[in-house]
Amino acid sequence: MFKINYSWGNAHWIVPPIIIGVLCFLFLLIVIRRAINCAKTHTPFINLHYHFFIENWDKVKLIGCLVLLILYPLAMQAIHFLPASIIFIFLFNVLFCGVDKLAMIKQGGGLKNEGIKSVLTSLLISVIASVFIWFIFGTVFRVTLP
Amino acid sequence: MVFSFTYLVMCFIGVAVGIIFGALPGMTATMAIAIFLPLTYAYDLHTSLFLLLGLYVGGISGGLVPAILVNIPGTPSSITTGFDGHPMAQRGEGEKALKIGITASFVGGIVSLLCLWFLTPPLAKLAINFGAVEKFLVILFALTIIAALSKGDMLKGIFAGFLGVLVSLAKNYTLNNKFRLVPEFMEPNMYSGFTLLPVLIGLFALTQIFQEAEKGMKENDFKPTDISSSDDSKKFHFSCLKGNGINLIRSALIGTFVGVLPGVGGSAASLLSYSQCKNFSKHPEKLGTGAVEGLVASEAANNGLTGGALIPLLSLGIPGDSTTAVLVGAFMLQGISVGPLFITQNPDLWRAILMALAVANVFMFIIMFYPIKYIAKIINLPKARLYPVIILMCIVGSYAANNGNMFDVWTMIGFGILGYFFSKWGLSAPSFLIGFILGRDLETYFIDAIQGSQGSLICFFQRPIGNVVWVMIVASIAFAIWDARRSAKTAK
Repeated sequence: MFKINYSWGNAHWIVPPIIIGVLCFLFLLIVIRRAINCAKTHTPFINLHYHFFIENWDKVKLIGCLVLLILYPLAMQAIHFLPASIIFIFLFNVLFCGVDKLAMIKQGGGLKNEGIKSVLTSLLISVIASVFIWFIFGTVFRVTLP
Repeated sequence: MVFSFTYLVMCFIGVAVGIIFGALPGMTATMAIAIFLPLTYAYDLHTSLFLLLGLYVGGISGGLVPAILVNIPGTPSSITTGFDGHPMAQRGEGEKALKIGITASFVGGIVSLLCLWFLTPPLAKLAINFGAVEKFLVILFALTIIAALSKGDMLKGIFAGFLGVLVSLAKNYTLNNKFRLVPEFMEPNMYSGFTLLPVLIGLFALTQIFQEAEKGMKENDFKPTDISSSDDSKKFHFSCLKGNGINLIRSALIGTFVGVLPGVGGSAASLLSYSQCKNFSKHPEKLGTGAVEGLVASEAANNGLTGGALIPLLSLGIPGDSTTAVLVGAFMLQGISVGPLFITQNPDLWRAILMALAVANVFMFIIMFYPIKYIAKIINLPKARLYPVIILMCIVGSYAANNGNMFDVWTMIGFGILGYFFSKWGLSAPSFLIGFILGRDLETYFIDAIQGSQGSLICFFQRPIGNVVWVMIVASIAFAIWDARRSAKTAK
């Protein structure tokens, strides 16, 4: 019981099963503790009203953020770092500031229009940030960029 | 050479940027270090350390600004700062509260630096005698202490730690060149397993962005109360700290002690210090209503953490908190391993760390104390404009981790999503990260130990120091169970 059959061939598979065993044991304890707590408080073990997301979660921003994050590396591979970054940092800016601001552009009014101002700021930030990071990392520090 | 103009400039930049990160709720010192780590590729470790430790001290200190002015802690370690700081700000004593907090932070940082200076070498000397058995047990102890101090959720804390260990083992095992826990299609990219930097950027930066996106990326509509007052009694004088000398030192030492314990974090340091301050106070009823001693206790403790968390890292190779776990990445990038031999083998680096911490604390005081009225405005920086730039830096940093590998970018995104799920399930990301960092060493020492004993597990109970560590492991688990029961009773 207090001996492990160690050989060069199985050395890679000694610790992982032990850790998996510990995790299963801990998981079991977590489940048992929950069951005891539920029995004490007379609440159901499986909460049918469980909400994964917070109340009134922002679907557009969360899902949009995830989608853009997946597309961004793909775009970098396709069109290289600088153009991809300018496009995607602009999109992230527009997304995080609220896509509803885009609708305000139709109202016109030039630079006084909140929508136009927001989009221009987004564009400015995306160009400056991307070029700055490209210059600092890629040129000054010679860090490999996508 | 421990000192140069470049070091000072890097430290200054680090502290200034760290303060901005700390002052913005939702951004932390860990996040700041994680996204700035790639910048250090171009520098030697000395220069990098001045930048990173500057970010660390600045990031922890900046959290007091929103905690005092708007009662929202900028970092988890400032959780108790607002208890007394905000009532003071509401009374028109905002500037006084901020300056008291900054002074207490400075004292806390210096006390913890002294502890780091004096405690690390003897602890490292002791650890040099450790064999594989003791090293394995010390790592096991680090994992159980995570549980002991994961307030109320010790099982989930320890589960997250061991999950981190398991994930760290997903790689090719170099001794027999066999893969484990890796799907076949991922094998070409997983020879050395997941790289630390993308994992921590994902867990600490991307997860935060997902959480903010879920909340709608709401801007800080803060209207800080007018922080300065013309009334002289509401202005800061160093005499405001009169009678708080013992409180300052005690709180700084509590912060340092909590910092030494792996995976515990700044919020526990400030909560423990605040509760001790209440126990020792002559007027405990005044705490929470704008008492100087409460503010001092909180801020001295959270900066006390900075030096404390470096003690186990530099003596045993075990990070004290999530931020020092990120610092491991900086050492790894430069090919330097932290552990018992670190000080003996790298005396220059050791002196540079002490110097960097001292300089960072002085810069923090200078940068925050005098222009505090302007620093206070940081909290209104628009997050919606900052996060896209942070995403850009995260991608660049992850990609550069292995000198240009897109797999690391996907790793970062994957761990960002995992961290988001962790936050939903109440699993601790710092515990996971500490398990991830220590996992490979845990396996190496375990295999070394059983190799030496022909597979017998009895070897883990035959060494005197090992038995002492066993006692500590059992004690930490017993404490965790006792504390969980006590917390449950108090909650009732």
